[in-house]
Amino acid sequence: MLTAGPQRTVQVTWRLSGLARSLVTLALAALTIAVITRRTEFAGLAAPALLVLIPRQSSRPGAVSVTVAEGASRLTEGEQGTVLARIAGHDQGTTRLRLHPAAWILAGPAAPGADGWHRLPFRAERWGLRPIGTLEVILNDRWRLAEGRLLVGLPQVTCLPQPTRLDSLVVLGKLSARLGEHAARSPGEGIEFAGIREFVPGDRQRRINWPATTRRGTIQLNTFAAERAQVTVILLDIRFDVGPPGLSTADLAVRAAAGLAAAYVAARDRVGLISFGRQLRWISPAGGRRQADRIMNMIAIDSGDGEPLAAVSRLPEAALPPGALIIVVSPLLSLRLVESLRELRERGFATIVIDVLCAEPDVGSGLIGSRDRAAARLARRLWRMEQDAIRFSLRELGIPVVRWDGRSGLDETLAPYTRRVLVNRA
Amino acid sequence: MRGYARARPAFAVIALVAGTVLWAALPTSAARPGSRPVLIVASLCGALTVARLLTDPSAAGAGGLRAGPGGGFGRGLRAGLRALPWAEGTTVAVLGLEVLHPSRPWHTVVLGVALIGFLLALHLAETDAGPAVLRPQLPLLAAGLGLGVLSVGAAALPAAGPGSGWLAVIAGAAALLAAGLALPV
Repeated sequence: MLTAGPQRTVQVTWRLSGLARSLVTLALAALTIAVITRRTEFAGLAAPALLVLIPRQSSRPGAVSVTVAEGASRLTEGEQGTVLARIAGHDQGTTRLRLHPAAWILAGPAAPGADGWHRLPFRAERWGLRPIGTLEVILNDRWRLAEGRLLVGLPQVTCLPQPTRLDSLVVLGKLSARLGEHAARSPGEGIEFAGIREFVPGDRQRRINWPATTRRGTIQLNTFAAERAQVTVILLDIRFDVGPPGLSTADLAVRAAAGLAAAYVAARDRVGLISFGRQLRWISPAGGRRQADRIMNMIAIDSGDGEPLAAVSRLPEAALPPGALIIVVSPLLSLRLVESLRELRERGFATIVIDVLCAEPDVGSGLIGSRDRAAARLARRLWRMEQDAIRFSLRELGIPVVRWDGRSGLDETLAPYTRRVLVNRA
Repeated sequence: MRGYARARPAFAVIALVAGTVLWAALPTSAARPGSRPVLIVASLCGALTVARLLTDPSAAGAGGLRAGPGGGFGRGLRAGLRALPWAEGTTVAVLGLEVLHPSRPWHTVVLGVALIGFLLALHLAETDAGPAVLRPQLPLLAAGLGLGVLSVGAAALPAAGPGSGWLAVIAGAAALLAAGLALPV
């Protein structure tokens, strides 16, 4: 849906156009040569340029009205959006528009429409609340000898992370009592076949398994697994962001979290989010499309309205209902988060960590001496050992840690845990 | 096909700037000493005019999406190309090249037509506009061309004839008029 912004009146400063400057240069140079060298043909050469320059007095408005509208205020990474702009108050000349894109925005050429709106396509290349850039309006008079330029700031656009593909879900062995789409171990009214049992009065006749009844001589009945919903909490750690922009740990973490949230919400699960960034922010688990929107907004926008990390001693109880599956997306660089994971495990939560660390500290790249280089190598080795130790300690606690580099979908990474139910060993 | 249509003004500019420089330089055997450096300057300015046009994202032929800040070397190169008026430099250098040849009125007027065509084509390519926007200026261009033809006739008069002094006065007045037109609007 298109919502036009307010109409703004912007002052225009007129000056000579590039064409006029070129023609003046040509005329002056040719006439000077004609006078100095007394060659008449150079005066004739200057004549067309001089005549074209004469009628440059035409109506030029001192101000024009600019209306800007956004095609969509929310985009996904790589998705194309459109800014629409309408310029009023300049009827006698021509109008050109040009979008000067901000960082992580790609801008396309403007296309005037028959309805008076100019369409400027753009594409957001990285998630977050991003300014689109600046709109430059170039006005030409009828004779194209005067040019007016004005700049108009454009609104921000919310760019959601590109959700990583996830087809198979990690499912707990023990699910909540809510109806859902995951086959539980207990028998129920689902559609997944669980086994057969002997008929008892009151059973529905349409569930009689006739082949088994014929073999055993007594009436046998099909039983089905109950279908239950799962409570999944995604713990997104973007406290430290390392690696090249666009492929940094925060980029991978938000894309993975967006994919997880989309997949679990699509499976009609209750999904919550804890964002461990500059502040601690969370959304309690719930289901539905609105919850998915809330989660995506929290992932994409750092609104700064959470609890300061220094003021929080433990992860919020409200966001961690008992029996929930906790999926942590983190580079595991924050020791405080690692302590929180240990605490979660001690509280009996089934937890799985998706490790998105994809970079190493840049130690010793500018060093020249062999001793300094050796020290840098040693420092890097110590850092690697420390990281290995953190991951080993988590595995020892019963928290699986899987590595994801962002190149493929999450299915391959989580395959060992999606083919069987994740059993809580608390 | 659409990309070709968009790039056509750029091709026209390339053809016109190359033709103008060549037209002013030929024949090289008749040129006075010093024409070679001027030819180099004209060629360089012409090439940089075309380079500026081709790197201008809003010019004709520029399709697709372009990035924002952070382009490093490419961004610096574009800023450098945009900083100087290469088209004006080409114009002055081409006129200088023509001056270094003996008087040849018809040749000079044809050069003037080519230069006007080059400047108009460059403007159309830079503003991504069609030739139709220049329709109001066609009568003026035609009148200017007529004056150019008249100047060829005037050039055929004897150099020390009675009209040459008046011509200098008229040319001086026209130069003053052009300077007045160049004042900021």
